[in-house]
Amino acid sequence: MGGSLQIQPAHLGKASIQVKAESNRDALKLLVEADKNAGIIALTGVDLGAQIGLLYHIRTNGAVITLKSEVPKESPRIPTITDIIPGALFHEREAADLFGVVFEGHPNPARIVLPEDWSENLYPLRKDAKIDNATVKCESSKSKPEPVPPQSDGSLVNIIIGPQHPALLEPEKFSVKVNGEIVKQVEPRIGYVHRGVEKAAEQRTYLQDVYLVERICGICNSCHATCFVEAVEKILGTQVPPRAKYIRTIILELNRLHSHLLLLGHAGLEIGYETLFQYMWRDREPIMDVTELLTGNRVISSAIAVGGVRRDIRESDVPKIKAVLADLKKKMALYRQLYTNERTLKMRTQNVGTLSKEDAVKLCVVGPVARGSGVNIDVRKEEPYEAYGEIPFKLITYNTGDSWARFMVRIDEIDESISIIDYALDHLPAGPFRVRAPRVVAAGEAVNRVEAPRGELFYYVKSNGTAYPERVKVRTPTYANLPAFLKTAEGGNIADVPANFVSLDPCFSCTDR
Amino acid sequence: MGKKTTVSPMVKEALSNLFARPATSKYPFVKAEVPEGFRGKQVYDISLCISCGLCSRDCPAKAIEMVEVDAKRRPLFHLDLCIFCYQCAESCPRNAIKSSALFELASIDKSNLVVHPQASAQKGSGVQQ
Repeated sequence: MGGSLQIQPAHLGKASIQVKAESNRDALKLLVEADKNAGIIALTGVDLGAQIGLLYHIRTNGAVITLKSEVPKESPRIPTITDIIPGALFHEREAADLFGVVFEGHPNPARIVLPEDWSENLYPLRKDAKIDNATVKCESSKSKPEPVPPQSDGSLVNIIIGPQHPALLEPEKFSVKVNGEIVKQVEPRIGYVHRGVEKAAEQRTYLQDVYLVERICGICNSCHATCFVEAVEKILGTQVPPRAKYIRTIILELNRLHSHLLLLGHAGLEIGYETLFQYMWRDREPIMDVTELLTGNRVISSAIAVGGVRRDIRESDVPKIKAVLADLKKKMALYRQLYTNERTLKMRTQNVGTLSKEDAVKLCVVGPVARGSGVNIDVRKEEPYEAYGEIPFKLITYNTGDSWARFMVRIDEIDESISIIDYALDHLPAGPFRVRAPRVVAAGEAVNRVEAPRGELFYYVKSNGTAYPERVKVRTPTYANLPAFLKTAEGGNIADVPANFVSLDPCFSCTDR
Repeated sequence: MGKKTTVSPMVKEALSNLFARPATSKYPFVKAEVPEGFRGKQVYDISLCISCGLCSRDCPAKAIEMVEVDAKRRPLFHLDLCIFCYQCAESCPRNAIKSSALFELASIDKSNLVVHPQASAQKGSGVQQ
């Protein structure tokens, strides 16, 4: 590729490579050929003044490699990569929305995050974008209705689920084309709860951003905070004390425990097994109480800070936490028995929404969805962060790839989480739980990954030498997993859509940011 | 079908719960207890305050306004904006903001949720119950 490729110091994952805009496809092809499990994590746009930087974060051999391309701001055009990595479909649409980059050859360049009546040439994440109440207001005169998919075939019926729908807890829309009972195609529309968190993060200090990012998602709040804080610590070069690492691990695993219990119970609700829902949520409550005991709040823990954690674990609380975990472990035996043996549950989840291993890799899915299809990816094992490198635990995979496998991954992970917390409490190192971190962060950039309950959570943070970040990019696990639902729903029964959908553990508050 | 009927373990669990104590508590008749270190309504001590304004500067929700009380700048808490992260308590160099177990802050009038620094000078309860 001549002089168009240049390898740079490894501050953006394992390596970062500068490529010219016209050869980014060639570089990407090389990466995909070298590792057939390579996939895209995120596509970050960065305003560089006269240029727009496009950062393709690629997961390959268990690490992140970043490809950097630059396109001129006047005519930001770059060829699409969706034919090489189909998982990039949504990432490119988002960069088009927020930065105005045109991806030549993209199969469906419609809006994904911004509303249809958003001003034509206003790209909110460009630094020169002037966003005030006047521009944000809907331009009702120019208001465009959302494109209605044409009824190409007389036998197909278009069923629109959402954005307000009794079966959905969060606002999202799915246009489901059905032929009789069989789903032929699913077209999603997300972005209904887009709050512009990435833009808001640029207007707050690093200190305040920790509280902002943990409010992206209530369920995996500590994961967001940890992921952001670790990225900032990478730029700062802060060494977090070992005790803080263990406490963070405990809080992160508590997050996973209550998230998995929530989902497994919610799955019961979606398939019409409300008793299961009630009992699982009852048994989730002690975990919330433990979180409250440790952090001071049952949902948003606000426990993570740059340089460590905000409060120590009281020695007197350790037996209480252990008792709750032992009790949950006993109760999990019943749920495991139900999910493995109960006919009702198996009929509704087995062979429903089957995702093959090849498709899982191609669509770049993460977390329990990938692990349910036999793809063994877990950030805790790939790039151990916090105390995960020192704590023994198993990576859970199932091979059937159906909804049932995705639920079983979570059942097994609950047991693993319990033993991780037990181990961490037993081996809690002595010493300080926090070090002082400066408020002003030197110029630099970093990527970071955390295994959230729903899968790999990704942050990119760029600092410009002030107390305010230049750019914060968040890629949440559901954003990566959504293409799997579109794929697996096709050819299935319309009645299986809820069971299939819920098995991804979708979180649209996360996805829309 | 029909050859062997197994009883779901859920039936056993459901039946045993007929005789168990309810998992829920009768709030508000039975007060919920919060653990030590719970982040409830902040208690502000005007006698310790040095009017530095750090709490207001660091507040991520911009819920703290500095107002003039007896010719000194003091923090006024807008609890309707507060996210109860306790960054103010952490930033305070004199420990003038402390935690409390008070969590029943619901009100039908937003003005009840504005805690004026003067209220704490008179050792008032701040929020009306």
